[in-house]
This record gives sequence, C-alpha cells and structure tokens, in this order.
Amino acid sequence: MPEKQYSNLSLKWDEMQKIFRDPILLGTIITVLISLVIFILWPLYEVLAQSFLADEGGLTLRYYQEALRQTENMEVLRNTIGLCLFVSFFSTAIGFVFAYADAYLKIPCRGLFKVIAILPIISPPFALAMSFIMLFGQQGFVSKVILGIKDANVYGFAGLATVQILTFFPIAYLVLAGLLRQIDPSLEEASRNLGASRWQTFKTVLLPLLTPGIANSFLLVFIQTAADFGNPMVIGGNFNTMAAQVYLQAMGNYDIKGGTALATVLLSLSVLMFVVQKYWVGGKSYVTLTGKPSRVRELIDDKAVVAAVGIPCLLISAFIAVLYILIPIGSFVNLWGIDYTFTTRHYTYIWNLGTKPIIDTTVLSLISMPITGILGMVIAYLIVRKRFIGRGVIEFTSLLSLAVPGTVIGMGYVLAYNQPPLILTGTATIIVLSFVFRSMPVGIRAGVASLQQIDPAIEEAAQDLGADSFRVFHSVTIPLIKSAFFSGLVYSFVRSMTAVSAVIFLVSASYNLLTVAIMSQVDVGRLGVAAAYSTVLIVIVLAVVGVLTFCLSKMGVKVTNLQG
Amino acid sequence: MAAKVVIKDLKKVYPGHDGTPVTAVSGVNIDIEPGEFVTLLGPSGCGKTTILRMIAGFEIPTAGDIYIGEERVNSLTPDKRDTAMVFQSYALFPHLNIFDNVAYGLKIKNLPKAEIEEKVQRILALVGLTGMEKRAPNQLSGGQQQRVALARALVMEPGVLLFDEPLSNLDAKLRVYMRSEIHKIQRSIGITSIYVTHDQSEAMSLSDRIIIMNNGKIEQIGTPHEVYAQPATAFVADFIGTANIIPAVVSAADNESVTVEILGHRYVKTMKNDFAVGEACKVITRPESMTLENDGGLKGKVTSSVFMGESQDYVVALEGSEKTVFVKKYNPNSATVFEPGAEVSVSVDVDSLHVIR
Repeated sequence: MPEKQYSNLSLKWDEMQKIFRDPILLGTIITVLISLVIFILWPLYEVLAQSFLADEGGLTLRYYQEALRQTENMEVLRNTIGLCLFVSFFSTAIGFVFAYADAYLKIPCRGLFKVIAILPIISPPFALAMSFIMLFGQQGFVSKVILGIKDANVYGFAGLATVQILTFFPIAYLVLAGLLRQIDPSLEEASRNLGASRWQTFKTVLLPLLTPGIANSFLLVFIQTAADFGNPMVIGGNFNTMAAQVYLQAMGNYDIKGGTALATVLLSLSVLMFVVQKYWVGGKSYVTLTGKPSRVRELIDDKAVVAAVGIPCLLISAFIAVLYILIPIGSFVNLWGIDYTFTTRHYTYIWNLGTKPIIDTTVLSLISMPITGILGMVIAYLIVRKRFIGRGVIEFTSLLSLAVPGTVIGMGYVLAYNQPPLILTGTATIIVLSFVFRSMPVGIRAGVASLQQIDPAIEEAAQDLGADSFRVFHSVTIPLIKSAFFSGLVYSFVRSMTAVSAVIFLVSASYNLLTVAIMSQVDVGRLGVAAAYSTVLIVIVLAVVGVLTFCLSKMGVKVTNLQG
Repeated sequence: MAAKVVIKDLKKVYPGHDGTPVTAVSGVNIDIEPGEFVTLLGPSGCGKTTILRMIAGFEIPTAGDIYIGEERVNSLTPDKRDTAMVFQSYALFPHLNIFDNVAYGLKIKNLPKAEIEEKVQRILALVGLTGMEKRAPNQLSGGQQQRVALARALVMEPGVLLFDEPLSNLDAKLRVYMRSEIHKIQRSIGITSIYVTHDQSEAMSLSDRIIIMNNGKIEQIGTPHEVYAQPATAFVADFIGTANIIPAVVSAADNESVTVEILGHRYVKTMKNDFAVGEACKVITRPESMTLENDGGLKGKVTSSVFMGESQDYVVALEGSEKTVFVKKYNPNSATVFEPGAEVSVSVDVDSLHVIR
C-alpha cells in the first residue's frame, strides 16, 4: 500500500478539529474574531476607504493631493517625524540612565522612580503641558515671577518636546529596567574575570545585550509620540503635529475627507513602526532567553558612579514630581501669574457647571473595566494556548490597536457607526467600546506574558479531569493569572479615565468626558478650572485604584504596573 | 471499571515548521486488556508521548482509531473521555490545596459533598497523604506532589490511567520507591494503565507488557522477559540493557533450532525460526551471560577492565574481528580478575543468546 502523502495545509486543517469538536471554544473564537473585526478593523477600513473614495463615486487620490498640497500640512508631517525622532532619542537615553540607576546602583529614594513612572498613567495625558505653562508660560511662575520675563513663549517645539520627553521616558525606563534586571550577573562577572574593566564590560557585554531593548523602547516612544494628541493641542502652539492636525482638519475645518487622508498617512507611519517593533526588533531579544537570573545582583555603591548617574535622575524625578504637584496647587490659586491667593472658586465653578462629565467618565470607565479585563484574558488565552487558523489575525489586530493613534480610531468610529447597520454616534455605548478596545492590548500583553510562565499541563490536567473549556478557563486559567487579570482591570479603568484622543471625536451633548472638558478649559485659558478638573480626575483615579488594590491585596492579589 | 484500549493503524503527522510534514507516529496497533499495565518505552522523540496524548484526547490522530472500552473516542474532547492522566510535571493546581486538587474532578461530576469527602479521604490514605489536605502543593516535597498527582487521577476511577513519565523529576532513590508504590497500588485496584517512560528499569519493573518504540513505530511488544531475552530487533536489544550484537552466519537451521558460526565457533540455539543456511544474522548476547576464561572460547584481548563494586566490567577485542564485546562478571572479589592486555577466551551461555536477522 503506498504511503499517503500529507500537506502542511491539510494537516493544519486537521488540527482545527480540536476547535470544531469543542463548541464553547469555537463560539468564543468566532465572537472574538467578529468583535475585533467590527471594532478595530472596520473603523480603520472606513478611514482608508473614505480617503480614497470620491464624493461623486470612484477611486481618487484627490484628497491626498489636496491635503498634502497645503504647505501647512507638509510642514506638519515633517514636524511630526522630526519631533518623534527627537523625543524618542532623548526619552530612550534618559530612560536608559534611569533603568541603569534603578537596576545597578545603590541610590537612595529609588521609590521615587516608581512614582515618576506611574504619574503619567494616572493623570490626564497633557498634565505636564499644563504645569509647564504654569511655570514657563506668559504668566509662568518661573518665567514671570522669578525671572521677570515678559511675554515668555513656552508654546512650540521646545516646550512640546520637553513635555513629551518627560511624559514618555518612563516607558523606556520600565522596558529597559525590566531587561536589565533579567540579565544574569554572572555574564558581567565572567567579563570582569576575563580582564575587562567596568566600562569595557558595560560597552562590550551590557550594551550589546540591550540593543534590541533600546531599539524597542525607541520605537514604543516613537509610536506614543506620534499618537500624542493632548500635549500638541495644549502646548504645541504653531508647531502642529499630525495627530492633532487630523482632528483640526476634520472637526475644525469640517474637511472629513482631508482628515481621513491625513489620518491614513499618520496611521501608516505608526503601523510601520509597530510592525518593525513587533516583528523585527521583537524577535531579537537575547535577554528573555536566559530567563531568571541565578541570584541577586550586587548593587554598585562606588560614590563617583552613584553621584554621576544617580543625582541627575533624582533631580529629574524631583522636577517631574513638582510639575505634577503644581496641578492641585494651581486649582486652589485665584489667578495664576497674577493673584496667588487661596481660593476654592474653581471648584465652585465646576460644581455649578454640573458634575455630569465627572460622573459619566467614572461610570463609563467602570463599565468598560470588566469587559476589557475579561476579553483581554480570553484573547491572551487563545493566543498562547490554542492553535487555530485565524489566531494570527486575532493577535495582530488586538495588539495593533496599541499602535493606532487615538485620533485615527476616533475618526474611524465616527465614520463607521453613524450609518446603518450600527448607529452608535452620540451614545454611551460608542464611548465604552472605544475605552474597551483602546485599553485592551496592554491587558492582553500582560495576560500573554503570565500565561507563558504557566505549565500548559495544568490546564490539560483540568480538562482531563472532566472540565470543559469554559470551566478550565474560570476555575484554573483565571486564578493562575489573576495578578495580570486584576492589573489589567485597574489599568483599563485608569486608561479610560485619562483617555482623550479617540473619545474627543465621540463625546456629545449627552455624554461629555472629563479630559475633553479639561482641554476645552485650557483652550479658553481657564487654567485654574482645568487644574481643578484635573485634580478631581486624579483623585477619582487614585481613590478607585486605591480601593481596588486594597480589596485585592486582602484577597492576596498583587497589582502591578503594566506599562513595563 | 477497568477498560480495554484498542489502537488501530494510528498515525500522527504534524505540520512542520519548514513546510515539510513531520511524522511522529505511524502504523501503531495495540490491544490492551482490561487491568493490564502496559509501558510505552523508547528514546525521546520516538512518539510515545504523542500516543499517550492521543489516547487522552490532547492530540488528534491524523489517521487510525482509538477505542476505550467499546467506544471510539477519536472525536471526543479530553473532558469527555474516561481517562485520567498523571503528568510529568504533576500539573497540580497551585491555587488549590491538596484536598481541592484531588476533589477537582469529583466536583465537576457534581457528586454530593459527603461522597467527595469520603472518596478523597480514602484515596489520600491509599497514597499515604492523610493529614496533608490543607497544604498547598508548593509546601509538599517532590515525592508527595507526585502522590497527589496520582491520587487526583486515581480518585476519578477512570477506565484507563495514563502516566506521562511521572517519575522523571524525582531523585534516583525516590524514583525506585515510587515505582514500587505505583506498582502496588495499580495491582490492588486492577486499573488499566498506560505508562510512558524512557527509563528501561521502570518499564521492566512495572509492566505486564512493554511496547518498545523507535522513530514513531513499534519495534516490539512483549513481556519484560521477552523483550530482554528475545529482542526482535537490534534496536530493542541495545535499548533494553546492554547487548553485544555480533555478526554471524547461519550454518544449519531447522524449525526448532538454529546453528550459527562466529569466528569459527559454532553455537546451537533452540528457538523457533525460519532462517536459511548461509544467511547472515546477528547474535545477541548479554554481558552477564558471557564469561572470561583462559581458553576454550572466542579468543580476544582485554582492552578495559573496570571495578564497579558489584561487578568487574570488561571490554574485550575479539581476535580476527573489528568487534569488541562487553563482559560483566558479578561478585568479582571471588574470581580471578583479568587486567588490560590479558589474552583471554570468551565463552558464551548458549541458552541466553538470541539470533536475529
């Protein structure tokens, strides 16, 4: 009898039997696929389609020509790329110094670094820009009161770039600190043992090991900077960036088509960086292969090194801390730059304006929290544990939304859901959906990382003992990755509370959100009111996170910062 | 209820990473009687674990059928199959205590609380873990964790008990001890068991029958005695224990006996065979069934002589051949010890030799 020949494709199809014979699993996969397609791919497709479809029908490149022919927009594109490169370079450099100080040096006040890393996450994304205006702007405390400069101008490239570096370098810091901690100290000892000095060891062992991590940080910061909407709007002045320009073109000039063309250009830039980061740099890590270090590293307490590296870090940290503290202070000052007497009038103003945005933001964020958390873990489980056709689509799409700038997806939501079959414009649903799909990727990443640590045999054992897929997931998988799960919940809440770029397209008369309210107060120059709103937001975030963390720690769950 | 297991023409081909399919298992036929203890033995990558995982339902056969009891189980998910597995890594639920680990499957069956309590206590007593109910898995030693894994599978009273190299994470002494425990418990319950290992001593000591696998195919199925004394292939001979495989020629043969010639010496072995005169064959002898003497057998020179305590191990280069043979002399203190370089003669116990093609 001749041997039957098998092709890889037919064998992969055979493997799908595992999915088909399990209705719960099959149903879950289909549901996840459909929701990713509807809520991530379709809006992006709408943006693309609208940018190429002429009003009178047919394909056209007209909107690109029109949008890019405006010299202003070409300049915006150049600005964006230049700014992203500049910010990514300095963020990565500062992040590296912080990571080195954290992982290698015996320095005091290391806890401050963790605070600095968390602050950008729990505050509105343009908080530092506001503080910067309060310090260095026309009415700035430093510029006007201390230095006596009249008409100081903080708006523009210098102010924006500084603010973005201070906001985004913690991303690089967390990524690199994570890597540095995983490097086995024996590697450096081996190098020293073979006769290399500390500097040579740093140059020939440490730096090469970290190169993929450094590239990774650079690209992550690049993506974040390109997508940043709040800071350019607040402190960009005449220096415009693509993320903001998409909004201004579409909503300010009522040129939706031109907006979609710009959005597509921005999207291409971000997706390109994302693909490079995930598939090119992502596969090159040496460090993860070595796993956990064999023992704890001896921290360097050489005074010269500690002073040279540690003091700048502490100074930067202190400066950032001051910037954040300025916000609550500003909310209690009568008229910043002119009259520094104590007042609660900004809070009274907010109260009279109505607490609806505050309550709406909190409630909608709370609603999206469990949805995000559970969906994120389900997707992580499918990605890590199951092999099926379509898995790559799920993985790519769900992580892609990390890279898609908020203004692009926000515009996509507007385009996709204001016509049948799904009319969601102006509803709370559309805001919740945007919260869910914007904050999910971070939870997925955490879920994937923690599932990879867990022996798949544990889940197999449960199934072998009679548990169906659903039962395995909730009685074994979730308890095993509960730290990632709850951290994902907390992160999702925080990120929803502070989201602005996507939802600015989605707010309506019936549902306004805090961040959007803050931006409009900054826009009309009511810094005190903006600061008061921001303070309220930060207090709510801290209160909810505090309560959650406390309850979870009673249950024995540790919540970790997922940005790393 | 101990179930029988029938495996017919089982085949597993995986999609390969480089585009070429990889055959992990092919042409496997096994009949396992109810209550029988069968071991799948072979080097790593021989397909034994794949077979076990297909029986449990974690992998889907590319072709062939698996029956547990009377039921064809190919399309059933693992939770619907009457099997319970003891995993190599134990796979204890780290978030549950010992009691809840063992009770996990019973709770899924929705048994009454009192019955669960009673069954778990009974099984914990059987594996000697009474009093450990409230401990977490990581508070137990490796051997104790191993017992929990066994208890968790046994308490389900499955038709078939599956073992995936369960002792490979234990140290040598504990491994021998747990081996005898598993043997005792399996015999007392009489449960059908399929045991995967690459350790021949585990296979020899536990099994009613051993299935020796290589490259995804079965080399031989037989009792421990059969696979040792009458290995079907050179691979089996070499894999089970140490074997000297010496090329020879058949000089006479009938149905009941075969005469082989090695370097001018003739040996007559009584065994059923279908050899033809003049055919090339291989003679398999075990080191302990050969002795070194001053003269009378195959001429050779000692090239290595090592004192192992329980035995003196020799390597002897045969005269007129490229071949070297291993010879083991137990209780070496009572006999003459040959030093390297000594001219010796190797005599073979004809009853323990075996002839294959």
